[in-house]
Amino acid sequence: MTVPASSGTEEQGVRVDHDGRPARRSPSVPIGELVFAGIMVALGVFAVVGIFLIHVPVGMKAGPTVFPIFVSVILLASAIAVLIGVLRGERGGAEEAEDIDDSLPTDWVTLAKLAGLVVAHLLLIEPLGWAPAAALLFGGVAWSLAAKRWWMAFLIGIVVALVIQVAFGGLLGLSLPWGPALGWLGRMF
Amino acid sequence: MDSWTLLMEGFATALQPQYLAFAFLGVFVGTAVGVLPGIGPAMTVALLLPLSYTLDPAAALITFAGIYYGGMYGGSTTSILLNTPGESASIVTAIEGNKMARMGRGAAALATAAIGSFIAGTLATLGLTLLAPLLAQFAVNLGPADYVALIVIAFITVGALIGSSISRGMLSLGVGLFLGLVGTDWLSGQQRYTLGLPALSDGVDIVLVAVGLFAVGETFYIAARLRHGGVDVIPVTRGWRSWMTKSDWRRSWKPWLRGTAIGFPIGTIPAGGADVATFLSYATERKLSKHRDEFGRGAIEGVAGPESANNAAAAGVLVPLLTLGLPTTATAAIILTAFQSYGIQPGPLLFESQSNLVWALIASLYIGNVILIVLNLPLVGMWVKLLQIPRPYLYAGILLFAVFGAYALHSSPSDITILLIVGILGYFMRRYGYPVAPLVVGMILGPMAEEQLRKALQLSQGDLSTLVMQPFAAIAYGVLALLIVGGLWLRRRQRRYEQALTESIAVPIKADSEV
Repeated sequence: MTVPASSGTEEQGVRVDHDGRPARRSPSVPIGELVFAGIMVALGVFAVVGIFLIHVPVGMKAGPTVFPIFVSVILLASAIAVLIGVLRGERGGAEEAEDIDDSLPTDWVTLAKLAGLVVAHLLLIEPLGWAPAAALLFGGVAWSLAAKRWWMAFLIGIVVALVIQVAFGGLLGLSLPWGPALGWLGRMF
Repeated sequence: MDSWTLLMEGFATALQPQYLAFAFLGVFVGTAVGVLPGIGPAMTVALLLPLSYTLDPAAALITFAGIYYGGMYGGSTTSILLNTPGESASIVTAIEGNKMARMGRGAAALATAAIGSFIAGTLATLGLTLLAPLLAQFAVNLGPADYVALIVIAFITVGALIGSSISRGMLSLGVGLFLGLVGTDWLSGQQRYTLGLPALSDGVDIVLVAVGLFAVGETFYIAARLRHGGVDVIPVTRGWRSWMTKSDWRRSWKPWLRGTAIGFPIGTIPAGGADVATFLSYATERKLSKHRDEFGRGAIEGVAGPESANNAAAAGVLVPLLTLGLPTTATAAIILTAFQSYGIQPGPLLFESQSNLVWALIASLYIGNVILIVLNLPLVGMWVKLLQIPRPYLYAGILLFAVFGAYALHSSPSDITILLIVGILGYFMRRYGYPVAPLVVGMILGPMAEEQLRKALQLSQGDLSTLVMQPFAAIAYGVLALLIVGGLWLRRRQRRYEQALTESIAVPIKADSEV
């Protein structure tokens, strides 16, 4: 059953903590972690409040709110468990990966650039066509990640974008807008 | 008709030239993408989902079978040849293979991994062939309450056993379940959690969530702390005919078979996936080896066993996926979405309603294994080149392909917005130690759980006790309790073991670097 299992989670979470895992303890206040856990608690509250906003048709057994109740309980209970854990000094170990240098601080500027480039891409698809918007995304991301030669990044971006556009948009028939610059190419398919 | 006749018919389909070409394409692309650093099997499958948008069902599933096996194998090449610490989950395999490569025995490590994967993959596919039809026959008789029990097992084991802490795993699962709720309720037609936005009334597409979490989230996560400078790949000596010496063969064959025997059963039960299988195999080999002192410094058994276990588990995961429609790993969950995009619902009825398709898929698994070994040994030079791709281009390419996959779904820029939001969520989940796999599994299994739960409650007139009173369901919950206790115990052992291992080999590494 879902409900008892999720309330059991809380106890087990603490037990794991006593074993010295999952985490290193650190005295400083982990603001980011607390904020994230707080947002998750808020999501849980939203899920609970949302149940009352779902309209249940009259006379319906096992209606549209039955499952959301289970889900909200899991979500809220585990979010509170995590929040308590963080407050008690438990830290989530960040994931490791091959290309990551643990000694570096988080580079927020690069992250903002990447997110901004994705937004620019989605705004430019319709007016410019898919391939130019994609070339811009590729070149921009490679440049943000410190590619050695910026013109090379955009050159590769143009080639990759054209290959995808022709292969998937042209030959396989996915609908990728060709845009004003490549309209002549699109008419060939 | 018995299974063998059906399997032969499957081979007849899968061996047609065009399907053979798709199997080849799948294995090749899957391995190539899987070799790329930073890309695990789940991300490989998620990134390549757009391939399936335009293919016919049989071709798409055969391609995906190839991608699945190829992606599974490709990762081991990365951890053996790349001179950086791999993912902590695959740490045991990475240690031995990487050490062997540093001693100039990289070729032997790659060969034993490839041959072991082939043997394990083939034997495990045989196991799948024998087991799946029986299980499907049995599963036809399961009622809604029984399904609820099975899905709850998958939820709890995936939530509690993947990742570093139970509460974080369950929270990840809960978010996935919640995302699965957003949209219009299929039974009553009521809107749930849509905030009145028309874009949300059809729900959030699972493809966006999978690609966003795995591709976009991972790219952001790596971009924030990208290791700059040259890429350090350990060179491999040429001449693949002389890769394995006689003593290598002698020391490898038993671990291959033991790895298979450990991996396949663990893959079939929802017990945390391939990680547990590789760890168990490694521990077993270390205990049984006559060369115990070599472990931690490049013992070939420590590559042969876990690699076989990994691939056998990959095939084992397909058993519950095909016969019950239950994905027990993130990768399996994404494959399930590929099925569903064709209106095919894996489950016990699949073996009756789509018999040709299923058996062609199973046959293509055998074929994919052969292609895998044919491709991998001779092409290692090419994989090494892939490892050297400058990272800015690699991650620009991953991000571009992810955004392309999202846009190609419905040709709608608003999908890219959702992708970006999920990607940011994925970034923070990685940063704060939340596993992302339970989210994907929860999102895909949530709607199935709801359907079965409401069916069960309608049959019982709203009496909740029906969920635990059916004999099968009751047994299932008992097994769940055992799985959780056993799984947690295993994980604790694994951590202590890895910690001890890291400490015991840390000394020689330091000594090396000082010399």
